[in-house]
Amino acid sequence: MNHFCKEASQLQSDGFERGLTVTEHIRLRIHLLICGACRNYSENLELLNNIFQGMRKQKKIDKSISLPDGDRGRIRAALKTASDSDN
Amino acid sequence: MLRFVDRKAENPEQWLTDHGDYLYRYAMSRLRHNEASADMVQDTLLAAWRGRDSFAGTASVRTWLVGILKHKIIDHIRKEIRDRNLTEAVESDPTSSLFNADGSWIEAPGNWKENPEELCKNEQFQHVLQGCIGKLPEKQQIVFRMRELTGEESETICKAAEITSTHLYVLIHRARLALRSCLEFNWFGGSRQS
Repeated sequence: MNHFCKEASQLQSDGFERGLTVTEHIRLRIHLLICGACRNYSENLELLNNIFQGMRKQKKIDKSISLPDGDRGRIRAALKTASDSDN
Repeated sequence: MLRFVDRKAENPEQWLTDHGDYLYRYAMSRLRHNEASADMVQDTLLAAWRGRDSFAGTASVRTWLVGILKHKIIDHIRKEIRDRNLTEAVESDPTSSLFNADGSWIEAPGNWKENPEELCKNEQFQHVLQGCIGKLPEKQQIVFRMRELTGEESETICKAAEITSTHLYVLIHRARLALRSCLEFNWFGGSRQS
């Protein structure tokens, strides 16, 4: 007997990336009804998706990183050269 | 921060003072490499200075600079993938090690019962997660990071990695499968109920 699990795992990932076709969607839904392992996979992906969403949100407000002084000095010098030669 | 400025009266050193940290953080969140990120900031400000006449003035200076930086970062990633010749054929399927020949799971995914908000803040979990992402094959890892950690649009990722969207979906799918099994093994294994 052939199992749909491998194909279903690709469809489940694709569901986050693009809209599934009606046929894909129905095949996946029916498979999930009968397959506990794939239901778990579905929930695992959902959890991971939520974790990454939360991490992206947290990152936006992380202001602890700043341009190191050494780099800042080097960039300042390069900009000065560029703007002096232009004016 | 929108404000009216006489752009011509500005100079790139002022841009560095006003936006340097912001641009650097933006680059670091995408490249994770100090030197490369600082280089991106410099390239961006130099390009902005050279192209200052093209600044429409309808957006803020920061938005304009970030727009330039975005392109610089994509170019940088594309160059890195090219230079290091990172390829991953769609044909060779690394996920076959997770499935039996008949398409069923070799090891069925476990039931993960944890709270995503708590895991975002859990340093131990974050460490394990970063470790698992770090184990992904390089090209998968680059596109997966762009997708999930920085939330780039598919179109942007495809441009940077020079791949089609179909190829992107395959890489992301492989990354998810590998990441899931790594996390099952290193973190969620204990909560397995099946």
